Amino acid sequence: MGLKAYFYDIWEAVATTAKGMRITARYGVDPRETITLQYPEERWEPSERFRGFLYNDIKRCTSCTMCVRVCPVDCISLEAVRGADKKMVLASYDIDVGRCMYCGLCVEVCPPKSLKHTSGYEKASVNRGELILHFVHEDANEIKARVAKQVAEAAAQAEAEKAAKAAEEPKASGPASDNGGKEAAAGQPASQPAAAANPAEKDAAEKKPAEGAKGEPGKPGEPPKKGEGETP
Amino acid sequence: MMESLVISLVNAVPVLSGVPLWSITLLVMVVVAAVVLTFALTYAGLATYVERKVAGDIQARVGPNRVGPVGLLQFLADGIKLLLKEDIIPTHADRFLFALAPYLVFVGSFAAFVVVPFGMGLIASDLNIGIYYVMAVTSLVVVGVLLAGWSSNNKWALLGGMRCCAQIVSYEIPVGMALLPAVLIAGSLSLQDIVRSQGGLLGIFGWNLFHNPFTFFSFFLYFVAALAETNRTPFDIPEAESELVSGYHVEYSGIRFAFFFLAEYGDMFVVSALATSCFLGGWHVPFLNGEALPAVWGNLFSLGVFLTKTLGLVLLMMWVRWTLPRLRVDQLMRMAWKYLVPLTFFNLLGVSLWLLLFHGKGIPQMIVSLIG
Repeated sequence: MGLKAYFYDIWEAVATTAKGMRITARYGVDPRETITLQYPEERWEPSERFRGFLYNDIKRCTSCTMCVRVCPVDCISLEAVRGADKKMVLASYDIDVGRCMYCGLCVEVCPPKSLKHTSGYEKASVNRGELILHFVHEDANEIKARVAKQVAEAAAQAEAEKAAKAAEEPKASGPASDNGGKEAAAGQPASQPAAAANPAEKDAAEKKPAEGAKGEPGKPGEPPKKGEGETP
Repeated sequence: MMESLVISLVNAVPVLSGVPLWSITLLVMVVVAAVVLTFALTYAGLATYVERKVAGDIQARVGPNRVGPVGLLQFLADGIKLLLKEDIIPTHADRFLFALAPYLVFVGSFAAFVVVPFGMGLIASDLNIGIYYVMAVTSLVVVGVLLAGWSSNNKWALLGGMRCCAQIVSYEIPVGMALLPAVLIAGSLSLQDIVRSQGGLLGIFGWNLFHNPFTFFSFFLYFVAALAETNRTPFDIPEAESELVSGYHVEYSGIRFAFFFLAEYGDMFVVSALATSCFLGGWHVPFLNGEALPAVWGNLFSLGVFLTKTLGLVLLMMWVRWTLPRLRVDQLMRMAWKYLVPLTFFNLLGVSLWLLLFHGKGIPQMIVSLIG
């Protein structure tokens, strides 16, 4: 190493140190260079298309189960029962945000646009159960029982009307209602179904599956459940 | 020093004349030691806070701001945390040496506070070999660090200890050589004498820094070498987190670790205090004759001036630390032996020749004598 290189080394060390210290001094003195956000006190405004926690507006939800089927991580679970007016009633709608990966597929696929991303992102919790968002606040079993009761009442009413009709019909024209005639022939008086609710309910339960199979292809498990709900 | 203080105290308070002199002397010594240690610890605590704030500012962060107003009580929280931590001694450590090492480091660093000239009369003991004493006593740190590395029975700790040893021993030479010009100019090793030699009505131009070109460079050479002696970042290869986890104190926790930590900040202060008193005029109040003021005000003024200069240098060390990356081991050794040692020798020679040729006069003095 020549003498020139020796002194050049020293000069370079001094010059680069000075340069670096000028830069750090600028950062140190200039308050605008502090970019840390004091998080709990202040927050960034999430952008418009920010995909935060999912929110389901259950008043608009049709329980179509599209979101459940499209979800790649199976974080949505949905239970619904068919109501008296043939529309589905949500019994429970839970989203496990601990599992959700915020892909947004469920929001895209939702037909009534009831499922949306919110701007929420703060959900630290000490156990994983707290990470499950419940959108139906009533107990699922209570809803099921209530709906079943309504359905049963409606069915009973319909059956009663039918029975009343059937009871009227044989008087008017015999061969038109063979069924009613056979039941009557089995030893039960034609007026009994109208009077006692129980056999009528059984009848309704027997008829239901046929109806149900037509209305809800996506839920094979549902009709038997409904039958259970009706019996008690 | 201490004797004269005690005698003046006894003269001032006649009641004490019945008490044996040695007991009063002992009492005064203990009180002075307690005051100096309290100052040192408070300074070290606040310096950790300032260091973290400086680091935050430089790295575009905020730094500690949770404990107390703008985070000022952070160091108390840290201290309490360190006190409450479990004191762990590794199973295969040499228990006695492991326990001894932090105290050696701490003592080596804080014993140097004894000769720091805080003000005109504010010095715990004005030893006539002040600089020599500082150099000797801070070398005790080497022993402590090596013991810490060895007794931890940990390969990283041992490597850190040995690196630290090599580094401090190497840089001791340029540090001593860079301080000698001040000693030559003052003609004394006592720090108070060195500070007094830079006084006069020349204001800041009485400083050794502006005495002649060689002392000017000497200051920077001293600062660089001393920075290396304190094991701080451009030269912190003994602790090198990325290589050695944290070097010689990797196995230490709780209060023992706190001792190492305090010693580092104590070292910074001592180094800055030496630089201040040897090159930056010490406690001399610029453009004002401190000695002419009443004793209390003179001491307060000089204390303020000294602390301002010294803490400014400490801040400069922090600034350097958060600017420069760490040197490699070979680069560190090359810097000491190939650059600093020859340059400091050259400086020493230059200052000696200057003093011989110009009869001890500095450039500002010559200019003044030319004008006046």
